[in-house]
This record gives sequence, structure tokens and C-alpha cells, in this order.
Amino acid sequence: MERIPILKMGEFLLVTIQVDMHDRLALTLQDDLTEMIVKNRTHGVLIDISALEVVDSFIGRMLGNIASMSRVLDAATVVVGMQPAVAITLVELGLSLPGVRTALNVEKGMELLRGSLTATNGHARRQG
Amino acid sequence: MSTILSLAIKYEHDVVAARQRARQIAWLLGFESQDQTRIATAVSEIARNAFTYAGGGRVEFAVEGRTAPQLFTVNIIDHGPGIAELPRILGGQYTSPTGMGIGILGARRLMDNFVITSGPGKGTVVTLTKILPRDIPAVTQERMNELVAALARQRPRTPIEEIQQQNQELLRALEELRSREEELRRLNGELEDTNRGVVALYAELDEKADHLRRADEMKTRFLSNMSHEFRTPLNSIQALTRLLLERSDGDLTPEQVRQVEFIRKASHDLTELVNDLLDLAKVEAGKIVVRPTEFEAANLFGALRGMLRPLLVNESVALIFDDTSGVPPLLQDEAKVSQILRNFISNALKFTERGEVRVSAALVDDGEAVAFSVADTGIGIAPEDQERIFQQFGQLENPLQRKVRGTGLGLPLTKKLVEILGGRITLASELGTGATFTAILPVRFAQAAAEPVAANPAQPDIDPTRLPVLVVEDSPEELAVYEILLRGSRYQVLHAATVRQAREMLRRIAPRAIVLDILLRGEDTWAFLAELKASDRTRDVPVVVASMVDDRHKGFGLGADAYVVKPVERGWLMTTLDSLTAAQRGRPVLIIDDDETSRYVVRQLLNGTRYETIEAASGAEGLERAREQRPAAIFLDLVMPGLSGFEVLDALRSDERTRGIPVVILTSKALEPDDHRRLDGKVTAVLSKSSSSREVACAALDFATSHTRS
Repeated sequence: MERIPILKMGEFLLVTIQVDMHDRLALTLQDDLTEMIVKNRTHGVLIDISALEVVDSFIGRMLGNIASMSRVLDAATVVVGMQPAVAITLVELGLSLPGVRTALNVEKGMELLRGSLTATNGHARRQG
Repeated sequence: MSTILSLAIKYEHDVVAARQRARQIAWLLGFESQDQTRIATAVSEIARNAFTYAGGGRVEFAVEGRTAPQLFTVNIIDHGPGIAELPRILGGQYTSPTGMGIGILGARRLMDNFVITSGPGKGTVVTLTKILPRDIPAVTQERMNELVAALARQRPRTPIEEIQQQNQELLRALEELRSREEELRRLNGELEDTNRGVVALYAELDEKADHLRRADEMKTRFLSNMSHEFRTPLNSIQALTRLLLERSDGDLTPEQVRQVEFIRKASHDLTELVNDLLDLAKVEAGKIVVRPTEFEAANLFGALRGMLRPLLVNESVALIFDDTSGVPPLLQDEAKVSQILRNFISNALKFTERGEVRVSAALVDDGEAVAFSVADTGIGIAPEDQERIFQQFGQLENPLQRKVRGTGLGLPLTKKLVEILGGRITLASELGTGATFTAILPVRFAQAAAEPVAANPAQPDIDPTRLPVLVVEDSPEELAVYEILLRGSRYQVLHAATVRQAREMLRRIAPRAIVLDILLRGEDTWAFLAELKASDRTRDVPVVVASMVDDRHKGFGLGADAYVVKPVERGWLMTTLDSLTAAQRGRPVLIIDDDETSRYVVRQLLNGTRYETIEAASGAEGLERAREQRPAAIFLDLVMPGLSGFEVLDALRSDERTRGIPVVILTSKALEPDDHRRLDGKVTAVLSKSSSSREVACAALDFATSHTRS
């Protein structure tokens, strides 16, 4: 069965979507990813969509769902590498991807995650 | 409009393929990157809708117009249920239950033109249009062909797609198979239904056949059982009419005599019908046993002549028996051959008003068979009726027929008998010229076992009114003397010329006394005398030794009851016999029968004889009386409620007190071979109620009491 690979990169999970996903594959990824988050006690997920030339409403929504679920599981999600044409089309399509943070590339995305993680920890410490 | 590509959407992967193709074509047509993404995204949305909501559809890519600005058109067609709330969706007020709801609106925003037609049940057609970039040359037909070729070349051929395509083909094939299988299943179902019908039909036929078989069995059983049920009252009627005609209870007026005669005649006819039916039932049940014996046709004809004389009431008809010298001795069942001929002859006599009935026998089939023919000069039988007369109750309509009513069973029964004897019947007749019935029987009965039953020596005609005395004497002159001496007395002379013959006689009859000559031709009878006195069967038969030799001591020593030196004198002989045979008198005769009429008949039969009677109406009562009163003999009925005659007999024989009482079976039951086996050795005589006359009853009693078991 085809699957999108999920890589563990240090304390984060990295998903690089290289193929044009059909809908079921997208849903499988959603399930796999939430499972991995729980299993690895990860607090950050990077989804690299730089290879995608088309992101339609379904895949866009899926990305949004992953972000929401991760947040519930105490993990932050950053979508990185979105092509400009895709970004424009998403906006035109009326899909705003609320709650999905984006970064230009993987490196920036990791920085973003680390930063937010520290902030959260500090916040948690103050709370504790 | 020129179509570039047409793509089916059947599976989820096809949605991906559609948007990839859309992007590729857009690129080939010269759209800039942003528009490629827009077009691909819009196609993706609408193709997904077609897949999700209509189960599949078709995407067609085309270019419209020949001059700039040309239009890139994508038609997405499905045949689904249509979109119900299209206006609301287009108005942006609709929220999809799947949580999406932006597909159509989004696609509209992404394209230059968007037309959607949809209606419930009519499917949905979405036409997406994008104006080709103005800064590129118009797409000519030539360019279009290149495009199509390029698309074909670029057709993605990854292994996974290859497999997917094969998969799809496989699925199509499977689909087809499934439909064929469905068809087969349907046909199979139909066949099964038909089959079930056929099986049910068979079951029904089986059941019918079973019913028929059972009905046939029941018919046969009914006929057998009927013998008893019908014969008992018939026998009573006959016995009572006989008593009336014998004036046992006072005189009758001539008119009464006539009436009683009619009653007796009617009951006699009815009895014959019942007997014929019974015979037929026996034949059908396969219970007829053939007992082949050796006999001469001449003797058979002689016996028939005597037997049938009473039937010759019409003086203008002659019954002629032809010479049988050409016929060898036969090995056949004499009784059955006689019955066959009797039926033929009585039938011939019935239908012949004048002329003759001629009985003949001739060898046929190269000496293998003998043809007994009975030819008459009667009314004859039309050829078309000749089959029918052999069917049960198949009587023909004619004036004579009405006059001489028969049972309608005679000829069918005859035919069956002939078949049982291994023969066949032929009939030659024409209406008005008489008929010839011929029974062709094998000279030697085929199934005759290796040892035929020994021919019976001429049976002495036992006179039931007289007491049998066996005279063992080799000289005919001496024998004649005994016959003269005992003429007119109550003793009947039975004769045996040798010891062997005497033994033979004793096996069949029980004389009241034996007159024994000591010196026979070539042997003396001392040993025989000793044998008589040693045997349980004959010990009680008084033996009078009559000899030229005076050896009284030896005679008495061996058990002789009287001794006389010849010549024998009449007075002495009578006195001796009287005193010797009187020993058994004095004790009553017990009648065990549930039928009151039958008891009455027996009582009346014995009324006035030297036998007194006591009666019992059931087996149990009979046993009790037998134990208490020790009767001289017992008349026992076989078929009774409660204890049957067989059971009573067994009980009598197992009890010390009653073991020695002779038993005479008096029954209307037609005895089966089984019954005979059960009775064998336990009873002294079996009488049919139908033949019970005073004489027979007395003879049986004399026989029994002279024959008391030790």
C-alpha cells in the first residue's frame, strides 16, 4: 500500500509530500501522522509541500485538519515550501487554512518550531 | 470545437489523473504557471465532486474557436443524481455535510467562465472555460494534432499506473464475469426450480404407485380374511338348512321343504363365489403351492366323469370323455388340473343347450406338453370378446348368460391356475358354433423338485357312518369273507394286503380296530403286531389276531386284544369288535367356539348320536372345562377373540391333564401352509365348517376317540 513517509528529524517529524496525493492517500497520511505524534511524543511537525503543484480544497483542508489535530496532541505544525501559484490559488479558492503556520523552507520552519516550543515551555514553567 | 483528450473518472486515482492532465494540457497550450495551477485545481474540485457524488463521470478537454482569443474548455459530465440545492450552493449559503462546500464556488472563481447544469436524476454537466493567453499564436488544427500526439507520448507510464490500468482492466473483466455469473446463477435457479418440480412429480408418482400397491395388497388381504368372515355365516346357514331337511326337529311341509331347498341352493352358490374369490386371492398373493404327483389322464377323466354327473341336468347335452391312451403318465398337480378341467366343463355345460361337451387329451409340442381340450356346441364367443372373458367379473351379455349366472371368476381363475402350472390357455370359438377351450400343460411340471410326491395309493372311500376296521389279509377270498361278515354292520372293512400297505393306511387313518392275519404272503406279522403295540399312535387300537395258526400265547404276549383261529364266525367277530370299540364311550365332547350358531350346529349334529356335548364360548373357558371335565374329545374353532384356537391348542398340549385329549379343529378359515405347520402333530383332524355333516362329525369323533393320545 502506498504511503507518504514520515521522518523523525531530531525532536520533530518531517513529512515530505513528493507525489500528487489522491484523497485516500491524504487521509492515510493524516492518520499516520497523528499516530506518530503520539508515539514519539513530538511537539513539532514539518510538512514539506514544495513538490506539490496543485493543492485543491480537499488537500488544503487536510493540511488544516493535521494542524488542528496536532495542536490538540500538543504539537505545532508548520507547512513549508508552498509554491506561490499554489498559495495564490488557495486564496482564490477561498481556503484560508486557519491555524496552519507556514514557512518558506524546512530550515525556517524548524526555527519557527523551536522558537514557539521554547516560548510554550517557558509559559508552562511559569504556569507550573 | 476540437477535443484534445477525454478521460474517464471511475476511481479515486482518476481525480488525480484529471488534474495532472489538466495542468499538462494547460502547459502545452501555453498558459502561464499560475493559470496552470488554477485550471488544475478547478478541474480537481469538479472531478472530485463527480467521483464523490455521482460515482464517476467523464472529463473532456477541448479548444474552441479558430482565431484568437481561443477558449480552453473542460467539460465534466456525470450521470449521477444531480445537485439538489444548486442555487444555494452557488449563492454561497450552503454548507456541505462533508464539511467542504467550497468546491464549486472555488472552481468558479478560478476559471474565466463556469456553467453548470444539473437536475435531479439528470446528472450534472460542468463546463469550465479559460481564455487562452493572447500573446501566443492561435492553436491550429496542426498544432492540435501535435498536442494530442504529445499527450499520448507523455502519458505517464509508471509501474504503479501500469498496474492500476491492468487492475482496471481486471476489474472490468471481473465486472463482466460477475454479470455472467449472475446470469448463470439465475439460469441455475430456474433449472433448480424446474428440477424441484420434476422431483416433486416423481415423489408424487412414487406415492401414487405406493398407494396402488397398498390398495392391491389390501384387496388381497381383504379377500383372504373374507374367507373366514363370509364363510362362517354361510356354513351356519348350510348346516342349519341341512338339519332342517333332515327333519331333525320335526317334519316340514312340502312348501317349507321347497323354501329351505332354495335357501340351501342360494347359500351354496354364495359359498362357491367366496371360494372362487379366495382362490383368486391366493393366486394373486402367490400363496398357491403346486404339488406335482404322477397320475394317469384316464384316472383323472374317470374321477371327473363321476364328479360332474350331477351337473348334467339337461338331457339334450352329452358329456363325452375321449380315449386318453396316447397320453403318458403326467407329473402335474392333479388337483389343479382337475379344477381347471372342472371349470372348463361346467362352463361348457352352462352355455350349451343341446349337442355335446367333449373332453379330450392329446400330446403336443413334441411330446413335451399335453393339451386338455373341452369342446362344446354352445353359443360360442365372438372374437372381440375372447379377451374379456378371462378378466375378473368379465361376463358377456347374452340371453343364456342371464339364465345361468356365474361368478365371473371361473375363467380368470382357471387361466391363472394354468399359468401357475407352467401352461397356457387357448380358445377357439365363433359366435354360434360352440367353443373349444384348451389348456396346454407341460407333461412334467418344470419346477417339480427332484423327488415328486409319491402317488397316493387308491384311497379307500371312508364311509363316515361306519367305524373303520383295518383288515390285514393277503388272500382276496378271505377278504371277501370279512366283507360279507361285516356287511350291514356298523363296521367298514379297510383292506391292506401287506404290512407295508397296512403301515401306509395307519399313517392316514385311524381304524377303530385291526383284524390281523399272521401269515401273509412271504412274511409273518408278529413283528408288526409288536410294533403296533409299541407305538403311541396305535397302542390303543384293539387288534384281533385271526390266523390259521393257533398260537394264542404268543399273540396275547405281543399285545393282541383277541385271538381267533380261522374260520372266523360272524357272531363272535361282531361281539368282539363291539366290546373292543366300546371302551371310549361315556365322556362328553367339548365344543369351543365363540360363534353361538356354530356351537348350536355342532350340538345339533351330535344330537342323537352316542356323544354328549358340553360347550365353551371362549378359549379361556374352554381350557377350564377341558381341565375339569376331561372330555373325550374337543371341537376347537381357530379364529376366536381373546385366545385363538392355536393358543388354546398349545395350552391344552402343555398341560398334563389335557395333553391326551384328542382335538378336532372345526374352522371356516382357509388354512395356510403356516397354519398346517402349527397344527401338525397336535390335532387328530381338521374339518371345514362348510363340510360339517352329522356323518363327518361322528366319523371325526370316532376317529379321534379311537385314537386317544397317551
